[in-house]
Amino acid sequence: AQAQDKPVQLKLSHWVPPTHPLQKAMEDWADSVKKASNGTITSTIFPSQQLGKAFDHYDMARDGIADLTYINPGYQPGRFPVIAAGELPFLMSNAKGGSVAIDEWYRKYAAKEMKDVKFCLAFVHDPGSLHSRKKVVVPADVRGMKIRPAHATMAELVTQLGGTNVQSSAPEVRDILEKGVADAVSFPWGSILLFGIDKVTKYHIDVPLYATTFTFVFNKTRYDQMSAAQKKVIDDHCTSEWAGRIAGPWSDFEHDGIQKLKNDPNHEVYPLTPDQVAQWRKVTEPLQATWAANVRKAGLDPEATMAEFRAALAKHRAAY
Amino acid sequence: MNRGRVDRFIDGIEVTAACFLAVVTALTFVSVFLRYFFNWTIPDTYDFSALLLGILVFWGIAVANYRGDHITVDLVWSVAGRRGKRALDILAALVTLVVMLTFTWMVGTKVVSVRADNVLTYDLRLPVWMFYLVAWAGLAASMVLLTVRTLRLVFRPDLVDTRVHVTPLE
Amino acid sequence: MSSDAVAITGFVALFVLMLLRVPVGVAMGLVGVCGFGYLAGFQPALKIVAQSPIRTATDAGFGVIPMFLLMGALASTSGMSRELFRAANTFLGHLRGGLGIATIAACGGFAAICGSSVATAATFSAVAYPEMRRYNYPQSFATGVIAAGGTLGIMIPPSVVLAVYGIITQQDIGKLFVAGIVPGLVAVGMYMATISLIGWAKPGFLPAGPRSSWRERLAAVREIWAVALLFIFVIGGLYGGLFTATEAAGMGAGGAYVIAILRKKLDRKQLLTCLVDSVRTTASVFTILMGALIFGYFLTITQTPQKVTEFLTGLGLGTYGVLLVIMLMYLLLGCVMDAMAMIILTIPIVFPVIVALGFDPIWFGVIIVMTVELGLIHPPVGMNVFVIKSVVKDVKISTIFLGVIPFVVTDILRLGVLIAFPILATWLPSKM
Ligand code: NA
Ligand code: NA
Repeated sequence: AQAQDKPVQLKLSHWVPPTHPLQKAMEDWADSVKKASNGTITSTIFPSQQLGKAFDHYDMARDGIADLTYINPGYQPGRFPVIAAGELPFLMSNAKGGSVAIDEWYRKYAAKEMKDVKFCLAFVHDPGSLHSRKKVVVPADVRGMKIRPAHATMAELVTQLGGTNVQSSAPEVRDILEKGVADAVSFPWGSILLFGIDKVTKYHIDVPLYATTFTFVFNKTRYDQMSAAQKKVIDDHCTSEWAGRIAGPWSDFEHDGIQKLKNDPNHEVYPLTPDQVAQWRKVTEPLQATWAANVRKAGLDPEATMAEFRAALAKHRAAY
Repeated sequence: MNRGRVDRFIDGIEVTAACFLAVVTALTFVSVFLRYFFNWTIPDTYDFSALLLGILVFWGIAVANYRGDHITVDLVWSVAGRRGKRALDILAALVTLVVMLTFTWMVGTKVVSVRADNVLTYDLRLPVWMFYLVAWAGLAASMVLLTVRTLRLVFRPDLVDTRVHVTPLE
Repeated sequence: MSSDAVAITGFVALFVLMLLRVPVGVAMGLVGVCGFGYLAGFQPALKIVAQSPIRTATDAGFGVIPMFLLMGALASTSGMSRELFRAANTFLGHLRGGLGIATIAACGGFAAICGSSVATAATFSAVAYPEMRRYNYPQSFATGVIAAGGTLGIMIPPSVVLAVYGIITQQDIGKLFVAGIVPGLVAVGMYMATISLIGWAKPGFLPAGPRSSWRERLAAVREIWAVALLFIFVIGGLYGGLFTATEAAGMGAGGAYVIAILRKKLDRKQLLTCLVDSVRTTASVFTILMGALIFGYFLTITQTPQKVTEFLTGLGLGTYGVLLVIMLMYLLLGCVMDAMAMIILTIPIVFPVIVALGFDPIWFGVIIVMTVELGLIHPPVGMNVFVIKSVVKDVKISTIFLGVIPFVVTDILRLGVLIAFPILATWLPSKM
């Protein structure tokens, strides 16, 4: 960037506490942007829903309430059908390769699905699982249970298995489990400890059951107002490589949670037999069909779209 | 609009909002029993209670606007003379009207955008915009009334009650 | 203008608008939008108006507010307050100032099902005041007791003020409620002691009633079992982790309704009145909440809360010095502002300071409620005093404020006790 570029101050917004690894990732992103722009692009990070609720973060970037926001597209069922592929169970084995893969694959679809914003990057967290107060081994165990799903796709699975969904923000999960409002939660591993959910759950299935997709999106007007050099800085920070860098430390944090819970004598972390895994795979198949139907409704060919996604996952060694 | 008709209209809004509160309460009450005795939850209980709460709040605001239920700082008003009181009343009513009109307009745009964005409830996948629309209808109705109230305040102050209302808040 | 200057201008504009009697919520929303718009563009600022209020109104956690209000309204309409007063009187009426002591006891009991201080004061203005006058209690004393007793409504759980505090600061509402139990009982004890002290210090000032027989006492207790049951059910369920705060509110309101219906104490028209009153009060609370959230986004981008924290903690006053400054500020604000508006407006700024100083957030919730209680009864603006005046027409405002003085002194003492012994508030919730 040139020295004569107008100084730009960005508002970066996310909705997890400042102790969450995402805060650090966003700080790194902002520092790198500042350096690359010779200090002309500086950022302030607003954590913990200070600028708006978690559900509203896409709209906040669209409307310019913040300039760059962190969103979970799965929080709003029906709104972002294509990227929901990343939420489908048993597709992804790890977050690092998975993040680069989903970013590479989703870029061209984002142009349409997230057309109100400048799409920056997409990533996933380390695959999460089901954590419960009573033991769940096979899908049939879910019948009659009240589950806090991670996102719309998990919510659909819960409904389909005869359970009901209980919604709550991540910080409230502990409370609703404690009070029996929910019996189980689908959650990534490290966060179980971060949010104190280890105090209120005992059983954890040790399989990469699902992932959650996230994106960084940028306000269009703000981007358009920047100089060509500054735009390039932003473009250089909205890449698949950066998607992997954002996801990396968080992924390690979540993954370490598995071992921590295994070491804790109060917790039962159990693998599934191949037969049990097969049962789970079978019940999650309809989710693929629903996803395909939604994508078709959005005017795309689901088979081709999914084939591309699987290829990207394979390329980055993240296929389950 | 004559006074009788306006009052019947606002009574209608009031009773409707009250019914929404009854439904939210009943839903919460029943769902606890279902959970403990039948281990069952009504699908979308969470979304329904939240969205109905939104409706009752917006319809309630419509009533509050018209009835002058809002919390105000009465320090200056209470020591002002008759003309001073009237000036303050008109000023406050005009500010409130402008703010509420903007609010109603912007919530209206939200209803439209939520519809376009195809946001659905978690369990039953019902469109959320319909609930937003009902909430907005309460605001829109109240705009009519607030305009009536403000016009009356300016031209027929004898018809408007601007006394201090004590509402149990704390 | 620097963002600091914008923030200060915003506060000045807010106070001017409020003094011009623009509704508090409307003023906060207006200044918030203008401030945010000036700093970050008006298009985004207007989008906040589209987004934030409806998100606030559809937050299921906020259901506690209308439902706890409904619970109190139902309990009051179905005559529970009168029965409580009668029962308390059979036990305490024979003491010097007995009707006053019974009023405090009954206020405490009623507070256990009603989350509003003003509603408690209004209820007992109708129930206890005529009785006290009939037995020649001085006007100032009778109204003073009711004003003070009314403040128990927000200290003893459930409490609308504690619920709003919990929502804004993201603290567990159940824990906050449970934290209020011991300080609430301390308040009841200290108010009773104050009345006894007045009776002892000024012989002939307060009469004593006849002693009731145990048969009468038992009969009166049989009348109030429903209230006791409801309280144990709601707060016990919350304490024992049976339900969330919102569910507790729903159970409380539903329970109050069922009890009233079973005892044939509520017709359809009364039910509708209860519902309508709760909706109207809810709407005025939410108007402020929505306005405050928008104002809060404006403050966030000016980074005012961080700066205030840095400023106050950097003054070198020490932890308790800063606490004292904050409490004095609340007492001053309490002179002109309504308690709910005051809490919603200031907590986003004060809370980070309190956390930075290392105070317990649950304990501070109790402290805030006590400070706000004081504001409800101290002149020139005291909501409880106004409400009593609106029910008891023949009394002068100054007379009520005169009667309130001993209880203001008691309240300040109690505040000191709670600051010296935080364990009074923190012990019970730590057992949850
Ligand atoms: Na209470
Ligand atoms: Na006061």
